[in-house]
Amino acid sequence: MARPRSFDEAVVVDAATHCFTDLGYAATSVDDLVIATGLHRGSLYGAFGSKRGLFLAALARHTSSPREAPEDDERALDLLLVASLELAPHDDEVRDLVRDACGALGPTAVTVLGRRLLERAHLEDDLPEAEAPPVVPTGPTPTTPATRRA
Amino acid sequence: MARIRVSDGQLEVRLVGLDALWALRRRLVVPLSAVRGATADPGAAAEPKGVRAPGLHLPGVAAVGTFHRGGDKTLYAVHSGRRTVVVQMEPGADTSGFARAVVEVPDPRAAVDDVNRALSRR
Repeated sequence: MARPRSFDEAVVVDAATHCFTDLGYAATSVDDLVIATGLHRGSLYGAFGSKRGLFLAALARHTSSPREAPEDDERALDLLLVASLELAPHDDEVRDLVRDACGALGPTAVTVLGRRLLERAHLEDDLPEAEAPPVVPTGPTPTTPATRRA
Repeated sequence: MARIRVSDGQLEVRLVGLDALWALRRRLVVPLSAVRGATADPGAAAEPKGVRAPGLHLPGVAAVGTFHRGGDKTLYAVHSGRRTVVVQMEPGADTSGFARAVVEVPDPRAAVDDVNRALSRR
């Protein structure tokens, strides 16, 4: 019989998100998730079905809701990077979520994700200047530098 | 040792060798609609298993058979635990009451991908 849930799903999903973004998807074990969330293994499986189910919940939560703090923004980007790198190549459902998230980021998606990837590698101060688009010869066109959206 | 196979909207967990004997059960077949996911989880083999009925339990060596713990009915077939896969189900008549299967398979990664791919196409 399914017992009523006695935990806050948002807190659990956030704790799991930290595991996935710090360690990567494949390297995160269920043992890691059990320790990070404080749930029993059985409750974790009962609530999310699988490690993948928990990852999908994390991805959906972080790419749909409006974010308050900039670190949530970074967390969401990191989750997108992990999803793109590890799952999207062979998982249609994850690929769809990544596509939607990139759509929401708009035309700067590539820059935003690339910049975050290099930031994670502690290379943010060594970034080459973004190449300016070819200027149409009708006077100066203001080009906005691609920065992370607040 | 066990095999996990997905076909025709069904998931089959087949126990091989002596495991079928210890468990008094050769297979568990459930509809995919009652399957919630699969995970490669070596740590699951080390969890307390509860009461066996029927089965073989040599703590630290092997757990094979039907176990009851905290209201959950689990099918176990684990020895070393290194290649354990956990298949979570929606327990009901069509799963013979089982909430999950915790079994060792030759290729856990392939088994997990098979199950989850079938579920995402559902």
